Amino acid sequence: MANYFNTLPLREQLAELGKCRFMHLDEFDEGVDALRGKKMVIIGCGAQGLNQGLNLRDSGLDVSYALREQAIAQQRQSWKNAIENGFTVGTYEELLPTADVVLNLTPDKQHTNVVNTIMPMMKHGSCLSYSHGFNIVEEGMQVRDDITVIMVAPKCPGSEVRAEYVRGFGVPTLIAVHEANDPNGQGLALAKAYAVGTGGHKAGVLMSSFIAEVKSDLMGEQTILCGMLQTGSLLCFDKMMGEGIDPGYASKLIQYGWETITEALKYGGVTNMMDRLSNPAKIRAFELAEEMKDIMRPLYWKHQDDIMTGTFSKTMMADWANDDAELLGWRADTAETAFEKTPASDTEISEQEYFDNGILMVAMVKAGVELAFETMTSAGIIAESAYYESLHETPLIANTVARKKLYEMNATISDTAEYGCYLYNHACVPLLGDFMKGMRSDVIGKGLDVADNAVDNARLIDVNDAIRSHPVEAIGGVLRGHMADMKRIV
Amino acid sequence: MICLDALSVDFDERFQLHDINWTIQPGEHWLIAGANGSGKSALAAVLASEGTYLAGTLSGVPDRVALVSYERQAELIEAERRKDDADIVDVISEGTSVAAIIDADCCDPDLAQTLIDTLGLRPLMGRAFRKLSTGETRKVMLIRALSSQPDVLVLDEPFDGLDHNSMAWLQDHLSALAEVLPMVIVLNRFDECPDFITHIAYVDNGRLLHRVDRDNERAFAELYQLLHLKTSGLEIPAADPTARLPALDPDAPLVRLRGATVRYSDNTVLEDLDWTIEVNQSWQLSGPNGSGKTCLLSLITGDHPQCYVNDIMAFGFQRGTGESIWQIKQFIGYVSTALQWEYRVGTGLRNVIISGFYDSIGLYTKSTDTQKAIADEWLALLGMSARADEPFNTLSFGDQRLVLIARAMVKHPPLLILDEPCLGLDDMNRQLVLALVERICLHSETTVLYVNHREQDRVPGIDNHLTLTE
Repeated sequence: MANYFNTLPLREQLAELGKCRFMHLDEFDEGVDALRGKKMVIIGCGAQGLNQGLNLRDSGLDVSYALREQAIAQQRQSWKNAIENGFTVGTYEELLPTADVVLNLTPDKQHTNVVNTIMPMMKHGSCLSYSHGFNIVEEGMQVRDDITVIMVAPKCPGSEVRAEYVRGFGVPTLIAVHEANDPNGQGLALAKAYAVGTGGHKAGVLMSSFIAEVKSDLMGEQTILCGMLQTGSLLCFDKMMGEGIDPGYASKLIQYGWETITEALKYGGVTNMMDRLSNPAKIRAFELAEEMKDIMRPLYWKHQDDIMTGTFSKTMMADWANDDAELLGWRADTAETAFEKTPASDTEISEQEYFDNGILMVAMVKAGVELAFETMTSAGIIAESAYYESLHETPLIANTVARKKLYEMNATISDTAEYGCYLYNHACVPLLGDFMKGMRSDVIGKGLDVADNAVDNARLIDVNDAIRSHPVEAIGGVLRGHMADMKRIV
Repeated sequence: MICLDALSVDFDERFQLHDINWTIQPGEHWLIAGANGSGKSALAAVLASEGTYLAGTLSGVPDRVALVSYERQAELIEAERRKDDADIVDVISEGTSVAAIIDADCCDPDLAQTLIDTLGLRPLMGRAFRKLSTGETRKVMLIRALSSQPDVLVLDEPFDGLDHNSMAWLQDHLSALAEVLPMVIVLNRFDECPDFITHIAYVDNGRLLHRVDRDNERAFAELYQLLHLKTSGLEIPAADPTARLPALDPDAPLVRLRGATVRYSDNTVLEDLDWTIEVNQSWQLSGPNGSGKTCLLSLITGDHPQCYVNDIMAFGFQRGTGESIWQIKQFIGYVSTALQWEYRVGTGLRNVIISGFYDSIGLYTKSTDTQKAIADEWLALLGMSARADEPFNTLSFGDQRLVLIARAMVKHPPLLILDEPCLGLDDMNRQLVLALVERICLHSETTVLYVNHREQDRVPGIDNHLTLTE
């Protein structure tokens, strides 16, 4: 199989990368009608598979689970998950030939195997749905011509997908139709109905393309979302140890700091996050971020280039073929880091203190978000996609760090994201080495040691202008406005 | 120090006070509060040595207790009337004059004369007492009590029927008097509570349930709310007339379970249970912890995933035939501790109540003006009108529970499920919740399913019982 993206002419590549549109609620007036009475069979009963299935069934749809024979015979966890939740479970052979829609919710690395197995059993004119386009775009999976191929990707962990539905809401969801596989032109209607079935339409749906999803998703998760948080956590912790900060305090400041800082990001973008700092701290964070952006820019470009050319997927697939040797090794290394092994103390840290004593962390978030956004948009990814895959998702990943540090983050994200995260971390830690030598506890651990909050007027104006005029703030303002219309009325 | 120790008192076999424990220390001024018929006046009358003691003791009551009450007023008028009836000669009896009635017990003539002028009774002094209007009689009673140089003053609804000026004067006068004289006042309207009151006694159903120090702000606020729920004339707000639920077949049961079974690989929670809930057939569901009560409920609400593998007919839907969970939930109002834990939102109280129209936790849809108005009526009923925009998660546990009950009832669901609504609440909050539930049961068409792990805790008006065993 060849990398699908690389088979396309440049102008088509750019056209696909540029697809991303925020859909309006009234585009979902038909509800789940396109799927009503159709037989939906889910492959994979992990967190996404189970929780999406629960939502779809509660929306009145016919959902069952196809598992491999051994999983049923040995009553594995996936079998238990499905049975105890009252679902019909059967083998591929039993369920797939009559399925109208097959939802492939297995991990990326199983896709080729799974799809090759199920395709011959799928009935003529049925639909195959993905929640990530890697298999189609990077691995070049060729799906039978009569089969409609769509993507519905809730932009949250499976447990959230369920929890938000039960509350009467949903999670933001990305949908796409694989143009090469839309024989009856029904792809969009099916994807919309699926998004309604999981509750995603209430939280906002983005209409994108397989290519835009893959190329922006990979970039985001490797760099700012997971990579930057991992690198930042390790560097900031080690620096605080060198500066004599109490280990328990340092551990807590980082573990919960990302979540607190990026909560401000979620509400009001980089501008609001920076505004949470005092004026002198803001100027300092701005300067640190500028410096880090210059240092890290080549790395972000390299990640994006490797993603675009397929170098990244090739490297990772080689590791798949090698029984995940690199991935598992890096995972073990992460577990042994000082940050990971030092429990957070129960010292009280106020919400504001996370900002005041975490100036460097704020600077890292700013640098990472802006660099990822700049790099994606300069590579042809539309601003909407770039926003969601950088700024928008950062708080979600930060929540996982708050729960159980890097272990939890890496356990929650996909193996693909985890692999990319380690790649980034290995390059970024040494890259920031000299820069970190110049850091002191005033920017990480203790807060600025200043007599008062005096700043130079002209400098403050320049800094504020620079923060507010960044393109990620412009698109962020528009999209958060859309979201606020649909989102919970707080 | 006046001390009532385990005192039970009978009033002509019409009413009894039970097991009253109450101490009035020097310097304390008490307000007796409670709903109509709760025993407020009876408790006040005990201090004036009325009633027959059945058990317990009353000690420390000083010699001169002045009591002003409707009962005393009625007795006096009745006595006057009897004098008239007793007159067998054919002479029109005027009865005792106002002046004579006031003089009868008077120990402070100067004060009496001042009061007569202040309360505007001077022109009536020569008139027969029984010819006076109710308000005028009440003023006479007050003058008698105040000028009798009492050791304790007991006033049962002293402000009732007084015009504005007289009331203002009386309040001032009582405030001044409070410096030297212990007072016990009965009031129906808690918001008229004078500033000098130091303690509040709350009476319900012939029992003294709460004694609250006014300085305890929290307890005072809760008592205020309880009294509000018990005594305000506000009705349960109506449903939204613009949002009609799909009509249900009036002859079909609301819910019917056949052979309901919930099983996990390692245990069975419910086995082969048949249960039918007919319209207007309220149920109490009991059983020890772990007997599957919540599990059974969640089969009905659709929150349990195994509802799809059971034979359940709910609100006209055979479950698992293409209906959505929201089509089920629209017929149900639901309150439980688990819901309260889930409801961790900073949303304002008004929006929390409105979310009941959408069965959502948090509000994700723009609400209509009608919905807002209805939510505000509920807040008024709860005595929380001023708190409409307060964040829900800053409320006390008990207040949250009340708001969630209002949320559950706001759409007037055909079925209201109260899963251990008093669990985790202190006595006061328990009574608050029960007061609200009682009002809902009395004034709506909703079928109630009340869940309580203690079978003996039965709710009046709920006649059907299902008890689960472990």
